[in-house]
Amino acid sequence: MHHGSRVMAVAVAGAIAAAGCPGGGGTGTGPKLVPDSPTIDQGRDLPEVPVKIVTTASAPMEGNTPAAASPILEAMASENARWMAQLGNEPDPAYYLSYQVVEQRAVGLDAEGGALISDSDETARNLDIDVRVGSPALDNTRALSDDDGLNSPRARRGVFPFGTDPVAIKNHLWLETDRRYREAVQALVYVRQDQQTLSKAKKRPPDFSASEPVVYSEPVAKLEFDKAAWIARLKSCSKKALTGAATRGSCNVVFQLNTVWFVNSEGSRIQQSYTSAQLQVSVGVKTDDGMGLVRLEQRFGATPGDLPSDAEIDKMIKTVTADLKALNEAPLAEPYVGPAILEGRAAGVFFHEVFGHRIEGHRQKDETSGQTFSSYIGKAIAPEWLSVYDDAMLKTLNGIQLNGFYRFDDEGVKAQKVSLIDKGVLVGFDMGRNPIDGFGKSNGHGRKAPGLPAVARQGNLVVEAARTVERADLEAMLIEEVKKQGRPYGMVFTDISGGFTNTSAFAPQAFKVNPVMAYKIYPDGRRELVRGIDIGGTPLIALQSIRAASREIETFNGVCGAESGWVPVSASAPSLLIERLEIEKSFVPPDRPPVLDAPNIRQTVGGAP
Amino acid sequence: VTYRSLLAVGVVALVPAVAIAKPARAPTSAAVTNDVLDQIAEEMVRDLQNLQLPNAPGPYHISYKITEVEVNDVVASLGSTTTSRPRHFVNLEARVRVGLFKDPMQFDNANYIVPGAEQYDGVASRPLPIEADGRISRRAAWQVTDEAYKEALIQLQAKMDARRSTGLANDLPSWTAEKAVVSEEPVVVPDLEPLEQMEERAKALSAGFRDQPHLRDSRVALTSYLERRWYINSEGTNVTDTRRASGIVIVATSQADDGQELAQYFARYGQTADDLPKNDELAAEIKKLSATLAALQKAPSLEKSYSGPVLFEGEGAVGMVRNSLAPHLGGTPLPEGLNPQQAKQFGGQLTDKLNLRVASRNISIVDDPTASSAAGKALIGGYKLDDEGVASQKVQVVKGGMLEHLLTSRTPSTKGAISNGHARRTTAGGMFHGTATNLIVSATGGTTRQALIGKLLAQAKSEGLKFGIIVRQFDDSAITAAPEFSRRELYTMVQSADIDLPPPASLVYKVYPNGKEELIRGVQLGELQIRVWKDVIGVGKTPLVYNFLAAPESYLANKFGGGTDDGAVPSSGIESAVVTPDLLFKEIDLKPITSGRRPKPAIPSPVGSK
Repeated sequence: MHHGSRVMAVAVAGAIAAAGCPGGGGTGTGPKLVPDSPTIDQGRDLPEVPVKIVTTASAPMEGNTPAAASPILEAMASENARWMAQLGNEPDPAYYLSYQVVEQRAVGLDAEGGALISDSDETARNLDIDVRVGSPALDNTRALSDDDGLNSPRARRGVFPFGTDPVAIKNHLWLETDRRYREAVQALVYVRQDQQTLSKAKKRPPDFSASEPVVYSEPVAKLEFDKAAWIARLKSCSKKALTGAATRGSCNVVFQLNTVWFVNSEGSRIQQSYTSAQLQVSVGVKTDDGMGLVRLEQRFGATPGDLPSDAEIDKMIKTVTADLKALNEAPLAEPYVGPAILEGRAAGVFFHEVFGHRIEGHRQKDETSGQTFSSYIGKAIAPEWLSVYDDAMLKTLNGIQLNGFYRFDDEGVKAQKVSLIDKGVLVGFDMGRNPIDGFGKSNGHGRKAPGLPAVARQGNLVVEAARTVERADLEAMLIEEVKKQGRPYGMVFTDISGGFTNTSAFAPQAFKVNPVMAYKIYPDGRRELVRGIDIGGTPLIALQSIRAASREIETFNGVCGAESGWVPVSASAPSLLIERLEIEKSFVPPDRPPVLDAPNIRQTVGGAP
Repeated sequence: VTYRSLLAVGVVALVPAVAIAKPARAPTSAAVTNDVLDQIAEEMVRDLQNLQLPNAPGPYHISYKITEVEVNDVVASLGSTTTSRPRHFVNLEARVRVGLFKDPMQFDNANYIVPGAEQYDGVASRPLPIEADGRISRRAAWQVTDEAYKEALIQLQAKMDARRSTGLANDLPSWTAEKAVVSEEPVVVPDLEPLEQMEERAKALSAGFRDQPHLRDSRVALTSYLERRWYINSEGTNVTDTRRASGIVIVATSQADDGQELAQYFARYGQTADDLPKNDELAAEIKKLSATLAALQKAPSLEKSYSGPVLFEGEGAVGMVRNSLAPHLGGTPLPEGLNPQQAKQFGGQLTDKLNLRVASRNISIVDDPTASSAAGKALIGGYKLDDEGVASQKVQVVKGGMLEHLLTSRTPSTKGAISNGHARRTTAGGMFHGTATNLIVSATGGTTRQALIGKLLAQAKSEGLKFGIIVRQFDDSAITAAPEFSRRELYTMVQSADIDLPPPASLVYKVYPNGKEELIRGVQLGELQIRVWKDVIGVGKTPLVYNFLAAPESYLANKFGGGTDDGAVPSSGIESAVVTPDLLFKEIDLKPITSGRRPKPAIPSPVGSK
């Protein structure tokens, strides 16, 4: 029960955001589930035309402006050195100490049905400390064999003063370092106790990998926007969105200015500063059978100015309102196993959930994890025309800004391009500073939200295909497959809201993703929208079932939540034809729509209600 | 004539109770206008008449509480800001009651906790626009009423099932009938202090802790807020009120030589910043806190348990009233199904003691939400109407030691009872509990401090004790909680904590027969039974007027998880005041605190170090 509830809790959080993300494993050890690898259909008859990808990138050290460095970095480095000079001599010596301070200004404007509901503009600074006690081979972060969660650092905000006054800054660094060091020493006691009871037969990889020191500073960015104009736009947008079947129609923006200072005992001193902007148009209704329907469209940009124009927002409104109306009238779907197309953005989310979370390196190490992919390194897991990489240095792909761009990860390591699947063969993992067998170094994917410890996370996931077909041909291939398999219809998924994947060894190594827009495609080409379904299955079988890809690639931008919090990500993929997907009925709560119709003011004012 | 006033039949007019007249007044609400209220009221009428599921009762009572909150919070440490946050939001809360029988008040859904699903409480809320929009406000009313109605039906069904299966009969009505009240005139209060001005003040004051390497953490927090509220119900009540408070909280922490954690605080609240101490007085308090912590570092611990007389002085006496008396004053029956741990937060030791002696004969206690000042000082616990729309009333709780009245809400504990306007704090299941507001303890026979000390020492001597004890302050975890614990330590403490104990005493002195006082640390009072109030053997002459925010969570909940963990300001909680003279109790149990000791930092504070 413990494992199930933990995974579900994360799944619920995931469903709220655009791209839901998995939880960690459970506790204890257990059997590892490694499915037999069937022969992979290599699709050699597909045209040898690759997907169209044009990218722009920025290397980590680009824009280095040493003169822009804040005196905060100096104060952080000085206090870090003062501590390390002593902590190396303690009975429980510390061998690594890092400070990360994030200053985040978040502007939130939210309108509902034409009225402004919230207007906030808050700035906070958060201090996170990573102190390692013991040695890189075995330190305080080693997971316990029967992990009850009590050995992990407590997630909380570390108070850090505004301004640059070294007295105030150093005192708070001192206070928090003392707390975190004490916590780490205590954790190491339990790690050592645990190690005494473990079998020595299995050699375990170390807990920490060193990295080259980085010294980089970029000027502090500016967040510029016309607040009054945005309020007017959001009010107008939400008024238009609250129409037809919708009982809720809202439009909101979140603008952020993040400045991050990072200092560690390896000698790194990094100042990064960037803005981000997000627009969301969302409508909702409860169907007659009690199912809560939400349809949302999000857009991301590096600045508020990158967000859509009024005309584009109108298109977003039209899309969500038309989809909501159609969904509200759509029948509930039945369980199904058969061929399906995942359209571009849906395929991106699918890859992010089903594959991406599995290749986050630390999951291959956790004793309680199924470690599904670790034994497949160097082996074919997908058709040879398919390659996948994760490149946080990418700024745009086919003209679309990518949400997963960064220069340095949250552990002070330079962003890198990481090849994950090369011509169908599994070749790599996204790595933070937590090594696994065969992958001893970070490749710049240690990421986190403020207040949480970093783990390996995705950045910009890109699915490439060396052989592709036109989109229309993909649908023809689907219908052909439907006939071949003797199914009454095939499925097309155009939007997936998120999902979760279980990586614990105690449960089936299954994933579940939640499609929002799912269509039955009949052999005669007729389309029928259905609702109330989930896609389930196991990751390796799903990857091996990919039969074809389209020429056009689409990008999903979003934020992903997992054990190290919410981080911005993107996933780009062509549309994919899957030979066999398993569709399950989703849970429909025993609820009902409002008893009375929505109030109509004009009918009641001054008259009988 | 507004739509709302047409609802009211046989209403009584209400005179504003908390009259605050000061310059620089806050403007009236731009968000909750008469049009907004009218639209919501219309929805209430429509829903009352039409909202009904087949084979189920419709609502017999609908109420809406609309709150508009404006808050400025700032915190500074060592001369730099750590938090600066303005907030403004509007919220609509609907409460729907469904009942059986011709008179549904005899048995309705409320005051019952659905096992495993306490969220079904007939209460629903959602944000309203922060600018006037009648159309969207009415839609919100439609949605929250619908949601609350469905919850109320589930709650009613579960309550009936429980009655059937347990066979427990309770012939008390579920709710009292109250007269409708109309008071539409806005209550105008002074505007908030500007955020920038508060920030400068907090920074300047907090710099007073610089260059003191014996401290761990320190901060100065300022809050300024107002809460406009409107209450409308289907009985015709239609009232508006505004609450306004400002506060300052100063905290510093340190560690004793043996590693024991130490925290000292200074907190004051008033209706505006004008009611708070001036800067020079605050600077002196900062110096005092710092000096006290320096003294506590070296002070001896209470070496062994003590049973004997204790003099509670100043804030110590306030703490005694807050922790041993106020929780028991509620006369609202606790909801069926409330878990015993939560129930303890609501006292209950006075429930069956009406018209019996509960305190020394010279002691009288009133609770007066209609008062706005006492002894020339502002009180913040007052209001015009309580959370069930009942007008505030002054209540004589204890007279000459005899318990005369408890503080009640509309959930009666006896047949024929009515509310005396003290519905404030909610229990699980969504019900309001009778709660203290401005609690005023008075006593005849007050003596000088010198005479009180003499009495303390004489009593100690007669008990064979070599010293007496003075308590000057209790800890308040909503103010002092610091994130010093690891997950594992927290888990251990939660497992082993005794929830029956009051907060530790944070400022305690031994007093010897020669009058010499000795500061000690590590003192925990034993469980406090209400009967100790029968043995108050001495009282002071001059009462202390003390305002505070009563945290909705327990001391331990704040200590372990919430409170000021993230350095925030305690600007939430129930506005409360205690007025009390110094109190000498004949016998109180004290025991040493051995927890909270941890290694000292490996290096000294950088403050003041070269």
